[in-house]
Amino acid sequence: MKNSFDEKILDEASDWLKAKQTVILATVIQTWGSSPRPVGSHMIINDKGDFSGSVTGGCVETAVVRESLKIIKQNIPFKKIEFKVSNENAWEVGLACGGEVAIFLEHIN
Amino acid sequence: MKKKLLDAVINKKKENVAFAIITNLENGEGCIFEKGKPLDKNFIKFEKNINLYFDKKKNGIIDGTNIFVETYFLPIKVFIVGAVHIAQYLVSFANTLNFEISIIDPRGYFASEKRFPGINIINKWPKEAFEELKPDKDSALIALTHDPKIDDPALQYAIDKKFFYIGALGSKKTHENRCDRLKKSGYTDEQIKKIFGPIGIKLGGKAAPEIALSIISQLVSEVYKKT
Repeated sequence: MKNSFDEKILDEASDWLKAKQTVILATVIQTWGSSPRPVGSHMIINDKGDFSGSVTGGCVETAVVRESLKIIKQNIPFKKIEFKVSNENAWEVGLACGGEVAIFLEHIN
Repeated sequence: MKKKLLDAVINKKKENVAFAIITNLENGEGCIFEKGKPLDKNFIKFEKNINLYFDKKKNGIIDGTNIFVETYFLPIKVFIVGAVHIAQYLVSFANTLNFEISIIDPRGYFASEKRFPGINIINKWPKEAFEELKPDKDSALIALTHDPKIDDPALQYAIDKKFFYIGALGSKKTHENRCDRLKKSGYTDEQIKKIFGPIGIKLGGKAAPEIALSIISQLVSEVYKKT
């Protein structure tokens, strides 16, 4: 059996929009290995860099915020990003647990 | 995601129906899927696979496509019989864990809106309440009154309808007596064994929130038990 796991992040996104904030929705769309959060997990980020929810166990959230701020600034409507184990590129983050995760970032507008 | 779609999603959640959000990861377009309702024409060729994901309550990218499916199904229904002190803590745990709670208690002075703000309270006897609510087998019963005339009919109903979780508060002795009564009413040992009694996992605490935690832990572990 399964229970529905609605963490009400979308409801919160709606509240942020009502408060005239720019909102990016991050969704876990794919995982490989032992990634900490299941597919469908959400996080929202506003133009000030405030965030709510999570896409991993705190492993890549900072990078997701940074990437979100970048796409707000460049006015990119959506973007897919991936994080791997000991990712040696720009972020210096990655999943210590050995998992991989793909995240879809999209502007809500 | 368009704001219009987000608004539609928020409304769907309020309507208490199962649905899915479908997103095309290639162009960012999205729509709502609802079983048996016409699907947005841009997604029509994926309809069969979307249905498959939906039926399995599964989230993910449909193989070989750029279509992401995110399902929203209804929470498990938990019926608490007895609007007692422990129930007040159960309600707060269950909210965070996304169970849908209803409280049944014919005693109006217990089951008041004041004690349980925002909770579905039914001031009726269990049999009458269940006939009105029509729960399915994906439901749970937590019987807390340890008063046979309130708990027993609820337990009998839950056994008959094969609830996935049935628990009853009370000491070992209370539970033995309860089992004897059920036996006399014609229930088999196998049926009676389905009742968790004394309810809850062993945590050791005796305070109301601790008992509530032990009950809710047992409930969650039963939800995810491999069958």
